[in-house]
Amino acid sequence: MNSEQIKDKSAPEGRSLWQDGLRRLRKRKLAIACFVVVLIYFGLAGFIYIAEFFNWKVGPVNWSQEVGEQYQPPSRNNVFGTDIFGQSVWRKTLYGAKISITVALCASFISIFIGVPLGAIAGYFRGFVDEIIVWLYSTLSSVPYILLILAFAVVLRDKTLFGYKLTGITSVYLAIGLTSWVGICRLIRGEIIKHKERDYVLAAKSYGCSRARIIFRHLIPNVFHIVIIDFSLRFVDFIHAEVILSFLGLGEATRPSWGAMINDARIELSRGVWWQMMAATLAIFFISLALNIFGDALRDCLDPKLKTEQR
Amino acid sequence: MTNTNSILLSVEDLSTHFSTEDGLARAVQGVSFRIQKCKTFALVGESGCGKSVTALSIMRLVPDPPGKIVSGKIMLEGKNLLELSERQMRRVRGNQIAMIFQEPMTSLNPVFTVGNQIAEAIKLHQKKSSEQAWADTVKILDGVGIGDAERRVYEYPHQMSGGMRQRVMIAMAVSCQPDLIIADEPTTALDVTIQAQILDLLDELQRQNDMSIILITHDLGVVAERADDVAVMYASRIAEMAEAKALFENPLHPYTWGLLKSVPHLGFEGKRLQTIPGTVPDPLHFPAGCKFHPRCPVGCNDKRCQAVEPELREVQTGRHVACWYAPGYETQQERNEYESKYRQ
Repeated sequence: MNSEQIKDKSAPEGRSLWQDGLRRLRKRKLAIACFVVVLIYFGLAGFIYIAEFFNWKVGPVNWSQEVGEQYQPPSRNNVFGTDIFGQSVWRKTLYGAKISITVALCASFISIFIGVPLGAIAGYFRGFVDEIIVWLYSTLSSVPYILLILAFAVVLRDKTLFGYKLTGITSVYLAIGLTSWVGICRLIRGEIIKHKERDYVLAAKSYGCSRARIIFRHLIPNVFHIVIIDFSLRFVDFIHAEVILSFLGLGEATRPSWGAMINDARIELSRGVWWQMMAATLAIFFISLALNIFGDALRDCLDPKLKTEQR
Repeated sequence: MTNTNSILLSVEDLSTHFSTEDGLARAVQGVSFRIQKCKTFALVGESGCGKSVTALSIMRLVPDPPGKIVSGKIMLEGKNLLELSERQMRRVRGNQIAMIFQEPMTSLNPVFTVGNQIAEAIKLHQKKSSEQAWADTVKILDGVGIGDAERRVYEYPHQMSGGMRQRVMIAMAVSCQPDLIIADEPTTALDVTIQAQILDLLDELQRQNDMSIILITHDLGVVAERADDVAVMYASRIAEMAEAKALFENPLHPYTWGLLKSVPHLGFEGKRLQTIPGTVPDPLHFPAGCKFHPRCPVGCNDKRCQAVEPELREVQTGRHVACWYAPGYETQQERNEYESKYRQ
């Protein structure tokens, strides 16, 4: 009892697993660079929201303005040229970031809010409840993904839900979110099955925690790094899904999005108009690459099983 | 062991079974004992003899499925814990009975600071504001011998040593002043030098808070020093139960002899340590009759030991044993039956 009472002021300050992971992440230059790229995209999307709200007449918000003749190739005035209506492709591309990120973000939150609790409940209670949930997601995942999203998007389109009309991107992110919770649900279920046998769960029970408390206060924080990692890696998929839906004409019809731009470019390409296609593809390419590298690094840093210091 | 007013918890005829793929494992069979107020009751036995399952049964924390408490009564202050609803049971856990686990390294939730966890236990059972619970936490942590508690409450379990974590576990257990603490091999995972400190701490807290302790262990040295009453478990039953002093001076069950003889002593040099031959029987395939008979130096060839299992009986005041050969165990009728039926 006495030996441990020596006051040790030089001991490190309390550091949680999160802080530990972030410290590791900070050492990875490439990951940080990618994170900056992702932040730029998010910042752009946020800026467009603010600009639209306050009615600022700045570039991307004025995407519908005619800036020149139709089908002008890239030049000093128009970096990515103009489209059929003489609108700036550059502005449309920037504006597309808002649509894509809104869709991906909303879809992610929907899938996390469905997938995480369902996975946790299935993993913790097992038995009958588990079987129903596994059955549900197995059925959902047995339908080809694109077909399923298409079906949802078609069904949800222009319907009213709780008095709110599902137009354009709302039905898109609902469709993506409602179909893509399977992956995270499965991951969380497996992880909870592993964690619920740990001693700290038994200890928590032994001082009188209820089951809900154990699941949501003790277990989910312990597996939450998986949610973050899955979120960062799946975000790209959601952007792609939005592009595919727009390309197939089920997305946003009135405002420019990357998918709609690629869809337009399909016909234009035969006339040798390649810049609209290129602009949208590059925009998707950079955010996909950045998110993938960042997500990988995040997984390496946050997953205690893979604890590896990188110099 | 007789004064009923001083009894805190009494376990009567407790049986807990596990249904496995290979059949029914009777982990605890007809175990009865009483725990007196402010006394330490030791539960001793080899690995897999049912000590921990008994403890978990008292807390009603046996994993179900596959485990199930099939019969018995666990009376705590006039109420049978086995008849309480889950909600009522949650109020008992931590508040009246608390538990300390074997592995301090894994028994604390890694994502919370230790202060957070102790405060959670307090807030679950006592109507206290967060500030008050936090102040209590610091006080309790200080009380279990963690120096610089005001700073330590903000630390995470991985920043502490095994001994420190066990202190935190103890702090969590005593945070709501329970009447009974079940310590399931609290020192097994610790360094020898820390073991004594932890047990001293438990003693001290027991005196301060007037608690009873169930000490589960396989360390007979610890039992001799700290326990008031002892029950020796073998193959899911109690083989012998007595006051610690009496049991160590004059063991009645051959298994207890064997255990005591296999403890190394100072000045023992050069001689081989005595062991009990054989292994603990598999709970899926217990031998017929007395479960100890295949390893027993007395009854291994006895026809009755092979056929009839002896139950726990009180042979002297406060001395319970389950062995046909213990002095004063048989009744005259059984003696006659034995002579006529089993003796050749």
